[in-house]
Amino acid sequence: MTKQQPLKTIPERFVVRPATLWFDRFMNYFITVGGLSIIIAVSLIFVFILLQVLPLFRGARVEPQGTFRVPGDDYVVMGTDEWSELPFFVNRRGELIFVDTVDPGGPDHRPPFTQTPAWLDEVEVSVVAYNAFRSQLLYGTSDGRFATVDVQYEATFPERGGREVSVQLRETPLMRISPAEVPVQRLAYGNSGNQAIVAAMQQVHDRYELHAVSLVQQRTLLGDGELSVDRSYDLSEHLDGKPEHLLVPSDADGVLIGMDDGRVSYLHFDGHEFHKRQMFVPFRDLDDRRIVSMDFLLGDVSLVFTASCGANRIFSLYRDPQRDARVWGHTKTFPDLERGASFYSAAMRNKAFLIGGGHIASLRYATTESVRWEEALPFWITHAALGPRYDRMLFLDDQYTLHCYRLNDPHPQAAWRTFFGRIQYEGQSAPEFAWQSTGGRDDFERKLSLVPLILGTLKGTFYAMIFALPIALLAAIYTSQFLRPEMKRFVKPVMEIMASLPSVVLGFLAALWLAPIISNAVPSVLLAMGAIIVAALVVGYLWGLLPQRIRVQLKPGYEFLAFVPVMLLVAYAGWQLGFVAERHWFVVEDPSTGLQIADFRLWFPYATGLGFEQRNAFVVGFVMGFAVIPIIFTITEDALSNVPEAFRSGSLALGASRWQTAIRIVLPTASAGIFSAIMIGLGRAVGETMIVVMATGNTPVTEFNPFTGMRTLSANIAVELPEAPYLGTLYRTLFLGALVLFLMTFLVNTVAEILRQRLREKYRAVE
Amino acid sequence: MNDKHDGTVAATGGASEIQQRRVQVAQRRKKIDNDASAQYIQVCDHSFFYGSAQVLFDLNMDIPERQVTALIGPSGCGKSTLLRNFNRMNDLIDGISHRGDILIDGRSIYDPYLEVISLRKRIGMVFQKSNPFPKSIYENIVYSLRVAGRNRRAELDETVERSLRAAALWDEVKDRLRETAFSLSGGQMQRLCIARAIANRPEILLMDEPCSALDPVATGKIEDLIHQLKEEYTIIIVTHNMQQAARVSDRTAFLYMGRLIEYDDTETIFTNPTEEQTEAYVSGRFG
Ligand SMILES: Nc1ncnc2c1ncn2[C@@H]1O[C@H](COP(=O)(O)OP(=O)(O)OP(=O)(O)O)[C@@H](O)[C@H]1O
Ligand SMILES: [Mg+2]
Repeated sequence: MTKQQPLKTIPERFVVRPATLWFDRFMNYFITVGGLSIIIAVSLIFVFILLQVLPLFRGARVEPQGTFRVPGDDYVVMGTDEWSELPFFVNRRGELIFVDTVDPGGPDHRPPFTQTPAWLDEVEVSVVAYNAFRSQLLYGTSDGRFATVDVQYEATFPERGGREVSVQLRETPLMRISPAEVPVQRLAYGNSGNQAIVAAMQQVHDRYELHAVSLVQQRTLLGDGELSVDRSYDLSEHLDGKPEHLLVPSDADGVLIGMDDGRVSYLHFDGHEFHKRQMFVPFRDLDDRRIVSMDFLLGDVSLVFTASCGANRIFSLYRDPQRDARVWGHTKTFPDLERGASFYSAAMRNKAFLIGGGHIASLRYATTESVRWEEALPFWITHAALGPRYDRMLFLDDQYTLHCYRLNDPHPQAAWRTFFGRIQYEGQSAPEFAWQSTGGRDDFERKLSLVPLILGTLKGTFYAMIFALPIALLAAIYTSQFLRPEMKRFVKPVMEIMASLPSVVLGFLAALWLAPIISNAVPSVLLAMGAIIVAALVVGYLWGLLPQRIRVQLKPGYEFLAFVPVMLLVAYAGWQLGFVAERHWFVVEDPSTGLQIADFRLWFPYATGLGFEQRNAFVVGFVMGFAVIPIIFTITEDALSNVPEAFRSGSLALGASRWQTAIRIVLPTASAGIFSAIMIGLGRAVGETMIVVMATGNTPVTEFNPFTGMRTLSANIAVELPEAPYLGTLYRTLFLGALVLFLMTFLVNTVAEILRQRLREKYRAVE
Repeated sequence: MNDKHDGTVAATGGASEIQQRRVQVAQRRKKIDNDASAQYIQVCDHSFFYGSAQVLFDLNMDIPERQVTALIGPSGCGKSTLLRNFNRMNDLIDGISHRGDILIDGRSIYDPYLEVISLRKRIGMVFQKSNPFPKSIYENIVYSLRVAGRNRRAELDETVERSLRAAALWDEVKDRLRETAFSLSGGQMQRLCIARAIANRPEILLMDEPCSALDPVATGKIEDLIHQLKEEYTIIIVTHNMQQAARVSDRTAFLYMGRLIEYDDTETIFTNPTEEQTEAYVSGRFG
């Protein structure tokens, strides 16, 4: 570049003011930065949502924490406290050995110590069972008696910080289970608070006997008193083989007996008597049907079985519609366990369980049939316990070393199937899509399928668009092609004001004013709508048949003056006719009084088997339509008005009518713009929140019935996010919903944009 | 479809006015029948207003059948307005009104019992700026048939070939009839618009500066075309090009400030005009 001498004599009128240049450059820069930052911001939002969601799909992470010596003995039970700091082992004699796993070598570290129930010296223990959910041991003795022992951990928080866990045993006196003074071989106990039963298996000579007792608890003014035997039952008649496993659910409403030939008997206890309700074989299809392990999952309505070949199945209690009774059925199947199952520990906060044998330990999640973690550990596992807080795993090996592992699995329930697949939750008789994030009970399991929400979103959008599209498009065509300009000047701003109505106001109106009106007069609303459509066509046709003499009386663009009164009249007639129709056709009989009731709200569920709610998709579609119509209308109207006048006059000059011109020339030419209008309207409908929150019952449904409500993804986020614990599974699931919503709109917009570009290319006017 | 005539002849009112109009029309018809040199299009005392602005002042002119009539005059004198009145394209504009009448074949175009659509089918129009529709060449040409509900394939094909041949475009586009009309050159597009305008065999062809955007070669082609078309059509053409007017037209009307200054055989207008203004304009001294 040669340096050029600036021309000395630039006339002043040619000089560009520096401010102009500077401003031009600044604005260029400013707009570039602005545009880029918008793109970056949108991407960041996406990344943020993604980061919230991704942890859901991570498996469990397990890392070793330390090992501890345990005095060598023959242990039958292993248990642990809530913090997994002071696990215990029970040996054959019934003694509890506690092992401190905190701060080994520290000043407060306790060496292993032993505690025993008070009566242990006087009896010979024949069996010990442990119920981890209640932290309760069950002792059976060689002379046919039993007792429970509560392992009561207590944490104190001393001044110097940290936590000190101490333990105390609280035992019941020994009670007699059966007249036979022979060793108790299997023992199970359930206590629902209202009733409690204990079942025990004994061997008298060569015969197996099963006895059960119901217990009562004396209630005194000072609190719960002693348990004592109320009634005894001899259930031996139900045994026709050797019982291997014995379980009583915590509701104390039955006894489950696993036989050594692979059959399971389910005896139901109604508070007074035992009845045999079901007999089933979990591994009916296998060569070796024998049951190796049979244990409850949290909630005691699911049984985890393993077969000798390592097969692992879950049977759950659900209502059999044929028998109208709750029976057990096969619900889940897991991959086989290579080494069978010799230890089992159920989680106390969710439906996970730790199972395995030999070197192999496997952490599985029942609901989703998924293996969260499985590993061959470098030692031979004899006992295992899953920390009650679902944050530890403890293993005892055959060398009496206790191995502590930290478990990090914050979202065990999360899996593709949870969010997008059908899942059979406990108590359900078939797999289904369900969303239910809160429930009444502690052991309630969240149902987190997004499918009902996605369908709800589509449903709301569908009904809104079905209502809004025809009206908005026809109104836009009419306004831009037929209406006199002086009217148009009035109509457009009014519509734009409509667009600025806050949706919370619309939702409020919909819920409190419109929903009752519509639900009271559904036939009338439908008839009035239908009447308007039919009348519009008929009147239009008749108008064309009228002699021109009469038609010329109305200037073009003022035809609506003749039209509107007819429409109003017809709509009114339809409305009134609706009540007549309801009286004659929508009649149901009141089952209690036998009276005939003419009410569509009752008739619809009766006739179709579908639900009817006051706040339903119909109302939402109607009101959301109002939110969407102005948007679609305004943009469509602009697109239509922007069609070059030359096309219009060209068509009219060739003898086309205004309607033909609108349909054949204007509409296709504006199609790209109309398409954008529809897509923007669709986007608004998909993301619309307040109207849906307010105008529906927010029930997640998977049906398209117009007379029930729905829950949309956006409404779901609005409703549940305030309640969702920060970074919890629900919290992240809500973000997953947001991500799905984001992707849905992104997909729709991308497809729309591609189509729009095509249309624009096709109908591009030459300049 | 006759909203815009609230002038003296306007008949938006009662039956008596309509009756009155009938009598008027009948009288005119008689006058025409009596006249030996019956003219095809008659403009009678025609005035035209955009809102309150008068653009045309009491025009009177008779346009013969199957001849080319040129409208010339300085910019803004009202040529296009007059031309657009023949097929009532001005109806689209807000707040217009008119006085006087225009008769085609003895019938008023403002007759309230006349469908504007049928009037427009009778009168083809070619616009100053070519305006093919965003459709294929084929569909552009058959548009007037399709809107009339005529969709028979054979008829459409026949029409396309005939119109394109008449517009001297057939050889250039016969292999690409399905391509979009926007793929044509400017001159081709204008000829396509001519072909489109004559597809439905109108009687009258209105052309508003059809060559203003074209180069001399294309202009030549269109002028040749006009020569051929006048065998069949009555053509009214607006042009700023004096040579063109002289070349293509049989009769020429000179408008100035909305008034018809002179209207005569083209020959006369260009060689021996009566009015001084005409002389000045055609010789290029003003305008
Ligand atoms: N839509 C309209 N509204 C109001 N005035 C108009 C309208 N169209 C034209 N005019 C006015 O009417 C007068 C005649 O216009 P017209 O278009 O007929 O002129 P023209 O002779 O065709 O001119 P040109 O040769 O430049 O095309 C002009 O003064 C113009 O401003
Ligand atoms: Mg003009």
